[in-house]
Amino acid sequence: MLSNLLPRFSRRNLLLLLVPAAVALIAGCATDNPQSTFDTAGPVAEDQANLFKLIFWIAVVVFVLVEGGIIWITLKYRRRSENEMPVQTHGNTKLELTWTFIPTLIIIAIAIPTVIAIWDLAEPPSDEPVMTVEAVGHQWWFEFRYPEEEIVTANELRVPVGKNVVVKLHSQDVIHSFWVPKLFGKVDMVPTRENELWFRADEPGVFFGQCAEFCGVAHALMRFRVIAEPEDDYEEWVAGMRRPPVSPTDGAQRGQTLFAANCSSCHSIDGHRAGTYQGEIALQDGRWDGWLADIENSRIVSAPNLTHFGTRLTLGAGIRDLDRQTLIDWIDDPGSIKPETRMQDHGALYQTSDKTANLSAEEVADIADYLLSLVPGEADAPPATGGGGTGGGDPVEIGRTAFAANCAACHNITSDTLVGPGLAGIGDRAGSTVSGLTAEDYIRQSIVEPGAFVVDGFGPVMPSFAWLSGDELNGLVAYLKTLN
Amino acid sequence: MTTTTLTIPRIFDRPKSESGIWSWIGTVDHKRIGTLYGITAFIWFLVGGLEALLIRAQLAQADSEIISPETYNQLFTMHGTTMVFLVVMPMSAAFFNWFVPLQIGARDVAFPRMNALSYWLFLFGGILLNVGWFTGDSPNGGWFGYAPNSGITFNTGSGMTFWAIGLSVLGIASIAAGLNFIVTIFNMRAPGMSLFKMPVFTWMTLVTSILLVLAIPVIGVALIQIGTDRLYGTNFYNSLNGGDPVLWQHMFWLFGHPEVYILILPAMGIVSEVLPTFSRKPLFGYSFVIFSGIGIAFLGWFVWSHHMFTVGLGPAATSAFAISTMAIAIPTGVKILNWMATMVRGSIQINTPMLFSISFIAMFTIGGLSGVMHASAPSDAQQQDTYFVVAHFHYVLFGGALMAIFSGIYYWWPKMTGYMLNDRIGIGVWFLMLLGFNLQFAPMHWLGMDGMPRRIYTYSSDQGWESLNALASLGGLVLAIGILAFLFNVWYSRRNRIVAGDDPWNARTLEWSIPSPPPHYNFAEIPEVQYRDDFWYQKYPELLEHEDGHAPAPAGGQEDEAAHESHDEHDEHDGHGGIHLPDMSYYPFLAAAGVTLGMGGLMAGVWVIVLGSVIGMWGIMGWSLEPVNDPDPDVEH
Repeated sequence: MLSNLLPRFSRRNLLLLLVPAAVALIAGCATDNPQSTFDTAGPVAEDQANLFKLIFWIAVVVFVLVEGGIIWITLKYRRRSENEMPVQTHGNTKLELTWTFIPTLIIIAIAIPTVIAIWDLAEPPSDEPVMTVEAVGHQWWFEFRYPEEEIVTANELRVPVGKNVVVKLHSQDVIHSFWVPKLFGKVDMVPTRENELWFRADEPGVFFGQCAEFCGVAHALMRFRVIAEPEDDYEEWVAGMRRPPVSPTDGAQRGQTLFAANCSSCHSIDGHRAGTYQGEIALQDGRWDGWLADIENSRIVSAPNLTHFGTRLTLGAGIRDLDRQTLIDWIDDPGSIKPETRMQDHGALYQTSDKTANLSAEEVADIADYLLSLVPGEADAPPATGGGGTGGGDPVEIGRTAFAANCAACHNITSDTLVGPGLAGIGDRAGSTVSGLTAEDYIRQSIVEPGAFVVDGFGPVMPSFAWLSGDELNGLVAYLKTLN
Repeated sequence: MTTTTLTIPRIFDRPKSESGIWSWIGTVDHKRIGTLYGITAFIWFLVGGLEALLIRAQLAQADSEIISPETYNQLFTMHGTTMVFLVVMPMSAAFFNWFVPLQIGARDVAFPRMNALSYWLFLFGGILLNVGWFTGDSPNGGWFGYAPNSGITFNTGSGMTFWAIGLSVLGIASIAAGLNFIVTIFNMRAPGMSLFKMPVFTWMTLVTSILLVLAIPVIGVALIQIGTDRLYGTNFYNSLNGGDPVLWQHMFWLFGHPEVYILILPAMGIVSEVLPTFSRKPLFGYSFVIFSGIGIAFLGWFVWSHHMFTVGLGPAATSAFAISTMAIAIPTGVKILNWMATMVRGSIQINTPMLFSISFIAMFTIGGLSGVMHASAPSDAQQQDTYFVVAHFHYVLFGGALMAIFSGIYYWWPKMTGYMLNDRIGIGVWFLMLLGFNLQFAPMHWLGMDGMPRRIYTYSSDQGWESLNALASLGGLVLAIGILAFLFNVWYSRRNRIVAGDDPWNARTLEWSIPSPPPHYNFAEIPEVQYRDDFWYQKYPELLEHEDGHAPAPAGGQEDEAAHESHDEHDEHDGHGGIHLPDMSYYPFLAAAGVTLGMGGLMAGVWVIVLGSVIGMWGIMGWSLEPVNDPDPDVEH
């Protein structure tokens, strides 16, 4: 009795259960999860999600038929007596051809929209304006470059709403993958290759991104944000990135000196100055080459550009909200927030027994305050062309300031070697170093074209500073000649 | 004939004893080697499972600090490597060894000593892979070992070198085993058993063996390249010196995708034995199932780049690989429907092996459906390297391959041991495993679509993945209890033996026509085969008259008849008492130890290489000069 009822009951029951389950399944996915691939905010992710949904619903039908069928068959044909012997069916060619043919049709129905979408999504619509940015993967953070706006920043990509953005993808070290689930599926960042993707954010917001290719110890902590803003706000941000920061005061002012002495060999902060863009790219390559040339002992590594760091939302490649205490913790002991950073492994600051910063708590706090003070100054402040923040007309003074901002990270003015040679007495030495060059010409050549003559015992890692303004170059030469 | 005999100094006498550890080290009996494979693989299964549990413990909550990131990366690398190379492959090998000769009516495999060599290489290669757990420096670059992250610049420990060397040793084992089974299946079938009368499991073994012989050399080359990159500074994959990291991906997946079918085809073979037996019906559409298997294996060579949709192949290549990948769904779908049709109108006995096989179809279908979602490249751009993929391949490899392997264990246990595994406990084991498995892996579909990448040792509470991860970890616990319950079942069933008899399941293939466990020589007389499922029709000759649709292929034409006769003569002459099986030998063990030491020596130093080479050459020379059978004074030749 029961055995007769069971199959019929289960058949109805299956439909009752499976269909709502499937609906709940896809509904369950459409959450407000910050990395949901369903809650899309742009056409690329939307097309990708639509393709998924098409296949999903076909799959639901197959799932219900097959899984329901399995349960139904198992119950209906279960053995009722030990002696029963079913008809020995060996097959049915027509039937089997039919169920070879049907999946083929289903597959064709999926393949056609798939191939269309592959070609559609390969490039942005050609009749719409695009902006181009470059994203560079590093262990374990993202560098963003705006070649048109000449901006370099890190871990937070700002884009205008409604604009098609082409992202050129590179990697300096291992393979990473660039992914913002709500905006676009991932594309890998492969060393030796240049990949490309495009996306558009149709609504403003802060979108979570994350590296999706295993890239070493801290792969899990390699995140970033895409900040999509209305066009005006975006333009305001770009303009702000061109203006010098407000002048630091008190602790922040002390922090500025500490930063220049301890951090600036790897972190640039002067991206607001016109003409620094190419220099920063060359500098980053130089840092990378320097690290690679002597991985054991290098005190220099590629590092995020910290221009206007105070405007950032997050810290440590999108893994913490930026606040003063977290920043202090990070500076003091990056490993307490992210394991095995190159910053801590190589930075001169961290060559201590417990690998924490070789600074007092006040000094760490001062650097944090300085970094947080790095926000664009007022719009009506003088435009930051050339020697921004230098003031005064004395070439030696201009040179002294330029040295602190650009050179002090690697060169000491004593005879101690930092990354590069100490420069005490350079004014005297320079004249006799390379025959045919005066001291002044030699110093100038070393700044503009550092590869022309490399001092024995040092690698060719110094980038060119040809982008410095004429005043600054003259100032630097004048200043360096005073170092006797 | 020259009478010069080279002799190599014998340090040990040729092993003769039938028990004790030396009898295992010297064994060339396919059944004993199968047992060694099975037990070793099961131990690795427990190790890999423990690694998985630690992973789940760490991921059960956000910002967890149970396991350090370094250890976590070693755990997921070794979990994947272990489960693929040290569990599913050798589990299949255990069944190949045990049942291919029995199913084709042979007394051993074609090359018994090479068979032993395969096992010992597998054992030693597995140990090499795991050396790192004792030196604190396990492989940590992922089971896929993507360059340049696995290169020496970014991965300075010794783990990935041991990984490359260990996998190379395992590769030699796999190629040897593959060749052995190809030759065995082509040459050693009982008279009358034409290819299309072979059991499906034997067929799938043949297809898998061909895949092994073709696919393993590809990864072999790649492993040597990445090994020399790491050891000697070559630049095959070192992107910093112009090497191409994407080439590694092509090489890895050109092996890696056929590897997927190396893992799943034996499982399909097991299921194709279990379902007919417990439905009391022949497999529906035998030739469709066989040709689907061949089709899957063939198409498996044209899809590797679907693992690389995000690497920047360009739309043309992406389209081609998307379509070829989708095409695999067709033969797979055919198989699923054929298995279902096998059960339709059958007399389905619901017991542990059958439940595992039915679950195989159910779970494998889910994995197949999510597979089609990956095949659609734009959809895959959101899924690649997320937990959606983790869910997908666990549905295929755990829900698929391992469910079938457990089905095989319960199905063939009585044949291997002579006693039954308790069915009630077995059903409990099945229930716990199916429940735990689904609790653990179903939520991962959602996690993936909610943007959780793979291979992350931690996640933050602002990412919204906590509850599903907690659920998955709970599922892992249930699954682990299921595995413990299986061990309990083995213990319980050994204590309370229920003697199996020759044919406890009323089964269909030749292995059930001989005693359980089978005698050393398997078949007192080599059987003659007339029909597919010959043993079944021996038991039920009357069924031959009630055939519906295709009659089972009757005995072959003239050639077959002739073959029978000549064999008959031989058989009678050979008789029961005069069965000649190859004698035991230590040399495969020695050769394997030498090869492993020699290759491991690349890490340990020149003297280890020299020692390994000496031992290896000794093993190979001794093996070459040792007669298969020592002259037996009792028998005239």
